[in-house]
Amino acid sequence: MKKFLGITLGILTAIGGFVDIGDLVANALVGSRFGMSLAWVVLLGVLGICVFAEMSGRIAAVSRRAVFDLVRERLGPRAGLVNLGASFLILALTVAAEIGGAALALELATGVDYLVWVPAVAFAAWLVMWRVKFETLERVFGLAGLALVIFIVALWQLGPDWGQLWEQATRPAPPRDEGLPTYFYYAIALLGGAMTPYEVFFFSSGGVEEKWTRRDLSVARANVLVGFPLGGLLSLAIAACAATVFLPAHVQVDSLGQMVLPVALGAGQVGLALVILGVFAATFGATLEVALSSGYSLSQYFGWQWGKFVRPREAARFHATILVVVIVATALVLTTIDPIMVTEYSLVFAAAALPLTYLPVLLIANDRDYMQDKVNGRFSNTLGTAFMILLIVVSIAAIPLMLATKAGQ
Amino acid sequence: MRRRWAAGLAVALVAGCSSPAWNDRDYELKAAESAEAVGSAVEAVRLAVGGDGRLTRPYLKVLLTGAAEQVQGVNDQFGGVQPPSERARRLGERLLEVTERAEKAVAGLLTEVRRDRVADPAGAVRELAGLGRTLRRFQEEHG
Repeated sequence: MKKFLGITLGILTAIGGFVDIGDLVANALVGSRFGMSLAWVVLLGVLGICVFAEMSGRIAAVSRRAVFDLVRERLGPRAGLVNLGASFLILALTVAAEIGGAALALELATGVDYLVWVPAVAFAAWLVMWRVKFETLERVFGLAGLALVIFIVALWQLGPDWGQLWEQATRPAPPRDEGLPTYFYYAIALLGGAMTPYEVFFFSSGGVEEKWTRRDLSVARANVLVGFPLGGLLSLAIAACAATVFLPAHVQVDSLGQMVLPVALGAGQVGLALVILGVFAATFGATLEVALSSGYSLSQYFGWQWGKFVRPREAARFHATILVVVIVATALVLTTIDPIMVTEYSLVFAAAALPLTYLPVLLIANDRDYMQDKVNGRFSNTLGTAFMILLIVVSIAAIPLMLATKAGQ
Repeated sequence: MRRRWAAGLAVALVAGCSSPAWNDRDYELKAAESAEAVGSAVEAVRLAVGGDGRLTRPYLKVLLTGAAEQVQGVNDQFGGVQPPSERARRLGERLLEVTERAEKAVAGLLTEVRRDRVADPAGAVRELAGLGRTLRRFQEEHG
């Protein structure tokens, strides 16, 4: 019974923790412009993150070491440094986007300008990372993020033309007034949102924080293979809400306020309150995950003591890294740069760097020195290799498409 | 020599601020893009005002503030583009007449929400729907 409860709680946390500002922005934007015609990318992204998160969870449980901890050892310091450099920049940009998202959610709730909330959100995030236990922070914000299920309720209440949504989803092509390059640009942004690199850093380091062993493999797999696909369902509901309300009205979503409007129209003030709570929990929780991931990646590369399983004094450089990243990200948002724009760019840059994150995972998951009898099977390797080829193509196309389409305009 | 450099720099700065169109077609496309952006903001406001009873006041205020800033920004930017010909100037004036009406309508609604709530939601929805249709037609004709 206790194990069953543990698995259920883990799955619920994974569902609530799946959506962050990147998923919110990308899905609402895509839904409003392309309807459900890019739903296949969400499905592909969920499959991809399941494949690689399962591998990184297995690496953590079997080797008792996090992925980044092994990257330098397995690939050498130079390759590890390239990996670290690309990942770290994207992590810092993502922290800025998440802090901005949490501040925007507070603005929607109170009417007070989001810039006033930015320092408060950043300070609260730092305090939580400093004081609160790993498991508690993961569970509280993951479960609170479940409030985003209101997108599914609102979609039902809006009474969409289900047949039309299905037709859009099964005809993967841009609408008449949108070009093919823009369509693929947003496909890449969606994939970047679903397969955000920090998710594997956080998942594998979290496994070490929670002292996973081989016996925890079934729980880790259940979290990934059930929790993430259900989280993906939330992403589809966000896109479907936008497709139902905005596509017929020719509204191109460009603010968080607009993104949650379908929920308010479908589920009223209670729905609006829940969606704002869900957005805050999702973005604040992601702020913690991404900021911790920046500390994990840098500390693991340089071999510093890391983690929340030791006291902050014993992992001083790990906590200093987190603090610096939070300060830099806060300063970036306080320049008044649009957080939604930061999110859009971070998604595309993340997509461009995806192979750097996932190739080491695939290599280590095949290394018997670390994995012993738990190396990848043929199925995992076939999927992993197919995704690596796809991610390399995405990585090559991401920046040229961004320039050619003027970032999807 | 130094004076000539300063004059050149001033011209470049002014030109940069007002972003000239290369030709009539370029100006027309810029106008269509502006109509699309303003139309998008106007339609979002229409949807929100139509569901006024279901939205909280702080939320509606934030939504309208964003839309008002967006419409004003587009008007300022398009208003700064130098029309390359008399025909283009007339086209620009035609668009600005509509987008300025949209700016005024959204700003008016924002004032009402700041004070209390939208006084006549049905009337506002009708006005915004009309503006939205006009802007979409403009975009389809010139885009």
